[in-house]
Formats: sequence, structure tokens, C-alpha cells
Amino acid sequence: MSSWNSLWKWGGVALLAYVILRGFSTPLQPGFIEASPSRLSPGSQDVALKAVGQPFADVNAEPSAYTLVLRSGTELIQAQLTSVSPHGVQARTEIPSTLPSPALDAFLFTPEAGTLFLGNAFFVEDAAVGSVPASLQVPPPEEIAPSLGFSFPYQPTIIESIRNLLWHVPMWFAMFFVMGIGFVASLAQLRTGDVRWDHRAEAAVRTGLVFGILGLATGSLWARFTWGAWWVSDPQLNGALVTVLLYSGYRVLRAAMGQDERVGRIAAVYNVFAFVMLVILLMVLPRYTESLHPGKDGNPGFNSYDLDNSLRAVFYPAVIGWGALCYWMYTLRLRMNRIEHRLLTR
Amino acid sequence: MNMTLTHHVFANALEGFFFGSGKAHVVTGVALIILAGLAISLWRMDRRLRQLESEQHDPKA
Repeated sequence: MSSWNSLWKWGGVALLAYVILRGFSTPLQPGFIEASPSRLSPGSQDVALKAVGQPFADVNAEPSAYTLVLRSGTELIQAQLTSVSPHGVQARTEIPSTLPSPALDAFLFTPEAGTLFLGNAFFVEDAAVGSVPASLQVPPPEEIAPSLGFSFPYQPTIIESIRNLLWHVPMWFAMFFVMGIGFVASLAQLRTGDVRWDHRAEAAVRTGLVFGILGLATGSLWARFTWGAWWVSDPQLNGALVTVLLYSGYRVLRAAMGQDERVGRIAAVYNVFAFVMLVILLMVLPRYTESLHPGKDGNPGFNSYDLDNSLRAVFYPAVIGWGALCYWMYTLRLRMNRIEHRLLTR
Repeated sequence: MNMTLTHHVFANALEGFFFGSGKAHVVTGVALIILAGLAISLWRMDRRLRQLESEQHDPKA
């Protein structure tokens, strides 16, 4: 029993060490970040596209092995690549005077890194609405499956900060887990009146609050890099903040009541209410409102866009590792509560 | 438009910060040290609590 107790605790720590090592050392897949000039006019134009992440080409790459096409509406225009470097391409293209849409998307087909894409890369001024002349149109090139090693997916809005997924999301999961324990303990406390359930609920909320605050902090940091602000008025973010404040209220309530014998029962009622609010604010309301938060546009669950297999290989150990660390902290707090109770009632 | 510009500026800065001059290794090292410190402090607390529990069960111990 004792060896099992050590195994899950140190196993969780080992998983987190793996998550840190893997999470920070895995390269990002390449992706376009910038196009210049952003505004084009009909005629022959020189353009450049800059990429981030893993290099998608060698220093001496042969441009003929790569294909760059620009898309207007559903029609494709070919661009002649003049140079290819590990993190960018330069090309010359003939912009027609008629286009289905003035916004051009860029696609680079590469032999090793698959297809790099930049939506609305260029905006064409002074072009009439119409079809691209047949002489300038090209058929869609054949896609080549990427042969990159273990790498994290490139997401245009989050780029390198995708690694925060291994911290931010598992911290919230850990908070849900331990607050769930607190909820069950409070229900049991109300049913039986046994003070041992109150110890469990108090320890769970105290630990859950730590992870809730860490979840808010990592989320705010992420928002700064992706949305340009530490905090935005978003239902998911505001819901998370209100949840943490509600649980802070639980702590305030207990502190205000001191050693009053009714504290366990009143705190249990409050905790049941707080958990119901947690479910409503973090799981139900974001389904009914538009949100900037990834995966919240009507469906809070993860999907293939947010999480690919390389991320899963690190994300799932992160969920287990943070969960184990959170549960360890909860058990320590619970034992402290029991010792304190024995001392006071001796 | 503003958000796109901010995003580009930050993305470039982040890219340079993260992999420029091996800073990713520094971040990894600091995170591992914090994790080790946290694990050791939890383990010490665990041991101390076990001691207190055994003292409570057997005050003479």
C-alpha cells in the first residue's frame, strides 16, 4: 500500500518532468506568418512570404521543387518562385485586372513540410470583379503528405504559445476534478452531518482554488500573446473569474464563521451552490454564446483542429501529471485538517 | 486589423525570444527546478504529516 502511495505521487512528478522536457523541446511545424507587400495592384508583382517554426527548406533549396499558388475566391493563380529559404519564399506573379475577390490566400506546396497556408495574405486594389483570365489560372497542385518528425501543429493565431496547452488546460481539469470531490463531500456532509466529509470538502476547495488561480494566470498570459490583451470580456474568461471568486467566497465564509459549530453545514450548502455555478459558467453558458476561446464556438470539446497526435502524446500525460499533483496536495491538506481537528477536540 | 498586427508583432518577438540563443533550454531548466522544488516540499510535508499522525495515534512515540 505504501509503495503504491509513493508510486502514483512520484509517477505524477515524472510525467510532469516528461511534459516539461517534451513540451519545450518539440519543434513547431512551419507556417506562414507574414506577406509583403500586403497590398498589390494588377500587373507583374514581386511578393515575399515569411514563415515561422521548423525550417521547411534547406539553405540551398531548389525553387522548382516548390509550388506557390494564390487563391481568389475558388480560382487559382500561379506564382513563379524566385528564391526559397528555410523560413521564407520570394516570387513573381501576374495579378489579373479581374478577380472574383480582392483578397488572395497563399498556398505553398513543399516536398517535406506539406502545404503552408496564409489566409488573406494579399489585398488587390483597383481590380474589377470577374473571373481570372484562363491563361493565368492553374489547376490545383497535388498535395504531398508532410514527412516532418515529431512536431507540434502550427496554428496561425497561437504559434509557439501552443505549448501553454500543456499547462493551462490540465490545470483547469485538475481544478474540476478536485472541486468535484468537494461537491460530493459536501453532499455527503449534508446527508450524514459527519465532520470528516467537511474536512474533505474544505481541503478540496482550498486545493482547487490554487489550480483555478493558476489556470486564470496561464490563460491571461496566453490571451496577451494571442489576442493582444491580458483580459478580454469573453463569456469563458469572465465565467472562469466568477467561478474562482465564488470559491474564494467559500473561504471567506469559513473564515468569518470561525469555530461556529454550524460552519460545516453552511459551508456545505454554499459549496454545492458554487459547484453548480461552476458547471453553468464554464460548461453550459459558453455553449450558448460566441467566444474567442478555442473550441467554444458552440462546442466546448476538443477537435482535430485544436489537438493533433503529437500534442496528444504530451497533453494526456500532462492531464494525468497535473491531476496527480493536485490530488497529492489535496490529500496533504486533508490530513492537516484531520490532525487540526484531533488537536482541537482532544 | 489591429489584432492581426499585434499578433504578427508578438509572434515574431515570441519566435525570436523562444528559440534565440537557446532560451527554450533555460525555460525548460527553470521549469524543472520549480517542479523539483515543489515535489521535494510536498514529500517533506508528507513525511512530517505521517510523523504527526503517528504521534497522535501513539502519544508516547
